[in-house]
Amino acid sequence: MQDDLHISASLPAAPSSSASTNTVHLRALRRWWVRPRTRDLFIALLYCSPALLVFGLFTYLPFFRAVFLSLNVTNQAGQAVAFNGLAYYLRILNLDGSGRTEYLNSIGTSFGFMLMVVPPVTVISLGLALLSTVKVRGIQIFRTIFTGSIAISLASAGVIWSLLYNPATKATAWLVDLLQIPTPSLLGYGPAAIPAVAAMTVWSGIGFNFILALAGIQAIPHDLYETASIDGAGRWARFRHITLPLLSPTLLFLVIIGSIGSLQAFTQFHLLMPDAPNTVFVYLTYRAFWYDNRYGLAAAMSIVLFAILVALTILQYRTLDRRVHYH
Amino acid sequence: MNAYAGVRQSRIPYFAMVYGLLILTSLILLSPLLFSLSLALQGPTISPSLLPPDLSKLDWGIFLSVFQDEPLIARWILNSFVVATGVTLGVIFTSSLFAYALAYFNFPGKTLLLFVALGSLMIPFEATLIANYLLIAEWKWMNTYQGLILPFVASGFGIFLMRQYFLTLPRELYDAAMVDGCNRFRYLWLVLVPLSRPAIATLAVYTFLNTWNQFYWPLLITNTNEWRTTQVGITIFRSFEGGAVFNTQMAATLIVMLPTLLLLILGQRQLVSGLTSGALKG
Repeated sequence: MQDDLHISASLPAAPSSSASTNTVHLRALRRWWVRPRTRDLFIALLYCSPALLVFGLFTYLPFFRAVFLSLNVTNQAGQAVAFNGLAYYLRILNLDGSGRTEYLNSIGTSFGFMLMVVPPVTVISLGLALLSTVKVRGIQIFRTIFTGSIAISLASAGVIWSLLYNPATKATAWLVDLLQIPTPSLLGYGPAAIPAVAAMTVWSGIGFNFILALAGIQAIPHDLYETASIDGAGRWARFRHITLPLLSPTLLFLVIIGSIGSLQAFTQFHLLMPDAPNTVFVYLTYRAFWYDNRYGLAAAMSIVLFAILVALTILQYRTLDRRVHYH
Repeated sequence: MNAYAGVRQSRIPYFAMVYGLLILTSLILLSPLLFSLSLALQGPTISPSLLPPDLSKLDWGIFLSVFQDEPLIARWILNSFVVATGVTLGVIFTSSLFAYALAYFNFPGKTLLLFVALGSLMIPFEATLIANYLLIAEWKWMNTYQGLILPFVASGFGIFLMRQYFLTLPRELYDAAMVDGCNRFRYLWLVLVPLSRPAIATLAVYTFLNTWNQFYWPLLITNTNEWRTTQVGITIFRSFEGGAVFNTQMAATLIVMLPTLLLLILGQRQLVSGLTSGALKG
């Protein structure tokens, strides 16, 4: 409203004949400007501009630049020097006849890692959430303990677990003996290393999964349980027919977020097995980019990761959503 | 009376079982932390035991002396505080402005703007990482606070969260304020933001925690030791100490965990509502 006053005050009061066309323009401009929708558009864009600038500079432009880089051979400074077409993509997917399967293998390793992380962390967290719905004194303390790993960064967890796996501390020597592993550390032996990293990741993810599962359980209306009890439903029947269906949207969310997160895992591989020949796709991308300065190839790998994540999210949403019961 | 006592007696094994289970699972979950505390307190030994061999000779002084052994720890903590605070304030500022325009103004292209904000959530960090690294290097922003902060000061999640909250506040308040001659900018900062404290607290706790725990980005765009953040610092520390001095390494790791643990305990309600707003309402 104040903006109107400001505009009309600034208009010329008595224009001379030579300036009349000018006045017509100004009137048209004014009419256009006082239309609330156009004026709101400009003010809205002004308000949105800080975030739009950041999204543009650091999300959307870099994404398109990554697509561009992935189609080119780059020099040491990351500048495109020669158009390369889809050659890097064909290389990654082993469609160029070179027989290099390292990229496909590491995509497989990433999915294997995902399967070692997501089901255990979901089941354990659901169990803990059910356990902590009991009404006993001091339950809040236990809930805080179960939530605790949210506050522990992957880097801190990685440093601690690297010492748990370090033979000098003898913390996991029993496991090395039990599994009859030929190296002094679980991390040194190929087939055991990825599960060892997965165990650390499960530990690290419990807090987040637990707190969401608990919030989901607490959102279930209590009278449903009472009615079911009156009808003679036991503990298991109530879990199977009330808790699980009504919790399924939360569980779907946890599975999708967990899958995306575990496919993006970087920190734990950087800390626990930086030199392992068999590693996950994101870490292989880091090596191509950081150690070999192959920006074009690494950009293509990161776009492949993007495609995998989008496809996985849609697929999981489609297949699991049918089984999900929304309130 | 008798029947009541009977009920009570039968519940005792149940309580014992529940507490037993709670304590057992807590101990398992806490064991890596107890292990790190145990290593920190054992003094500079190259072959530590799982539990301190002599409980009367615990080296609690390590939590102070580690600041002398590694003088940069204080600087790393400062860096992390500046970065996490800067990102948090920036996200609150940009998200409030953006969400305000979406929730209160009526203009063409509103849906498109919402899509731009939420679309940013679809692009994973890894897909923009390489180009962002090159950009920061071209701008000579390596080892600077702006390089650590600015890429993160807009958040699709923050915009969504603030928009949803603004929509729950009565529209009549806005119309009344406009009639009384309040301008839109003043309304946002003097009325809307104070009314939205719960949502802002949620966004603040969530953003601070995530930024404090960042690892990959600070690893790439800092390459001198004084510009490291805590998360990268504790791992660099680990490598140049050769991994042999377990006690200082574990003490440093536990120290940099304190701010987020404190945030979790004090801001648990805000954090939970932030996390669940993605899961239950989204």
